[in-house]
Amino acid sequence: MRAFRAGVWLELQIIRSSPDTLIPFFTAPLFTIIFLMIVRNGGRHDLQPDALMAPVLMTLWWFALFHGGNLVTGDRWQGVLEWILAAPSSLATVILGRIASIMTIGLVGFFEVWAVGRLMFGVSIPFEHPLALALTLLVTVFAMAGTAVAFAALFVLTRNSYTFANSSSFPFYVLGGVFVPIALLPGWIQPVTKGVFMSWSSDLLRSSLKPAPIDNEWGRLGMVLLLGTLSFLLGRIVLFYVLRRMRTTGELATA
Amino acid sequence: MSAVEVHEIRRVFTPRKREPVTALESVSLTIPIGEVHGLLGPNGAGKTTLVKILSTVLLPTGGSARVLGHDVVDEAAAVRPQIGIVFGGERGLYWRLTGRQNLEYWGALYKLSRSEIKHRSAQLIERVGLSERADERVETYSRGMKQRLHLARGLIGDAKVLFLDEPTTGMDPLAAREFRALIGELRGEGRTILLATHDMAEAEALCDRVTLIDRGVILATESPRTLGRVISRFQRIDVEGADDGLLARIAALPGVSSVAPADVGVRIEVAEEGVTSDVLKLLVDSGVTSVRTSLPSLEEVYVQLIGDRGLQV
Repeated sequence: MRAFRAGVWLELQIIRSSPDTLIPFFTAPLFTIIFLMIVRNGGRHDLQPDALMAPVLMTLWWFALFHGGNLVTGDRWQGVLEWILAAPSSLATVILGRIASIMTIGLVGFFEVWAVGRLMFGVSIPFEHPLALALTLLVTVFAMAGTAVAFAALFVLTRNSYTFANSSSFPFYVLGGVFVPIALLPGWIQPVTKGVFMSWSSDLLRSSLKPAPIDNEWGRLGMVLLLGTLSFLLGRIVLFYVLRRMRTTGELATA
Repeated sequence: MSAVEVHEIRRVFTPRKREPVTALESVSLTIPIGEVHGLLGPNGAGKTTLVKILSTVLLPTGGSARVLGHDVVDEAAAVRPQIGIVFGGERGLYWRLTGRQNLEYWGALYKLSRSEIKHRSAQLIERVGLSERADERVETYSRGMKQRLHLARGLIGDAKVLFLDEPTTGMDPLAAREFRALIGELRGEGRTILLATHDMAEAEALCDRVTLIDRGVILATESPRTLGRVISRFQRIDVEGADDGLLARIAALPGVSSVAPADVGVRIEVAEEGVTSDVLKLLVDSGVTSVRTSLPSLEEVYVQLIGDRGLQV
């Protein structure tokens, strides 16, 4: 637990000293405006809540992928990774603490998007099923954190992790149904989306904003949780083997 | 139980598309608890590789190593709380955080309680002389200050065994002297220290024993003084007032390796044990009284054993 807390604390200090980390909070309002303009000009005012949820998910995903995914690589380039490994705490737990810290901060995006919609367009997030909405957001954050651990482990193997992070963002937006619901995607691609936790999250988030009762709410929440847990476990395993490999090859430090 | 036991450690690096490089070849070494042990060698000798293996961050290709009885590969988790590591250079710190924040983070990684972290960080900051700058970002620190912070970080876990790799890199002479005094204090506290360095004076001043290592092979392990004696056959005799004829006779003696002009007078070097007394007898019998013998310094031992290869690694 101390390692987790150490990770949370470190990340808060880093974010405080590096405000550029919070760039997604500047882009979220812009995406909110773009998506709201599209649905309003298309005459689909019924899709305005969906247009608000998309930038929330994109902001969270940005934090998970670009910040969380680059944690181990960043530590390696700073020459810190070796010394963390030589310390008694588990690196995976420290990383999880750091990612949890980032993702929790990322939730601010939800309120930011809500405020932009309300102040600029007079559109509010309809809290039709507030408990389902809150639980889905929490479980989504957990799943993103788990996935970020997996990315953090994989990105350290690459020479330019930002390129990989960049190219991983849009496929997830599509496969995760972040703005365009999965049901509208070509039929052949839909089975693939079932393995992407974000497709379950985004559908459930949209359902929680509509007055109709949510179909299979707990089952869908369970799927997000399950896929997030699997990502985290996969991330831990990959991290273990990647670090073992680097201890073997002597590549923990970059110079 | 010894603090460090290294048994026939071998480490081969296999870079992509290049020939394998042997960094350590069958290295064996034992360091008793409480000893300050120097690991002396030129760049590329294998010092850092050995320190990294002992720190559990690098796996050996063969052989075994134990720190305080725990195997560094199979029992790495038991080794880690017992060791502290200090590396030279500017990397290994979060530059955007303050010195104190860095230290507190490392304290948390060593599983210290909140109060212990606060107390020990403050104590170490004071000890390494960073009190006035502790709450400024590391990116504003000079190289020497970063080095002091590295040292404080190595001590935050109250380690019983310390691995110091070129710890005075970047320190000004005054700071380096203070650092050496600190090593003396740490020795007094009963800690075992493995000091990898290529600074002869540092090794000679601090170490109970030194190991000379080159190209991954241990050349000798002795006290600095004994190492000097090991090659006492290379003893030097500085002479003033000897005429050319006498010097020619000395040069012809078996075991005399060189007779060459020195800053003052002439320096005679012998290459065999027992020859010194023959040379001295000849000098005294010839009426030369300005004679001085000296043992080689550790630096000279180093050059004799490793060879003067200039900048080549």
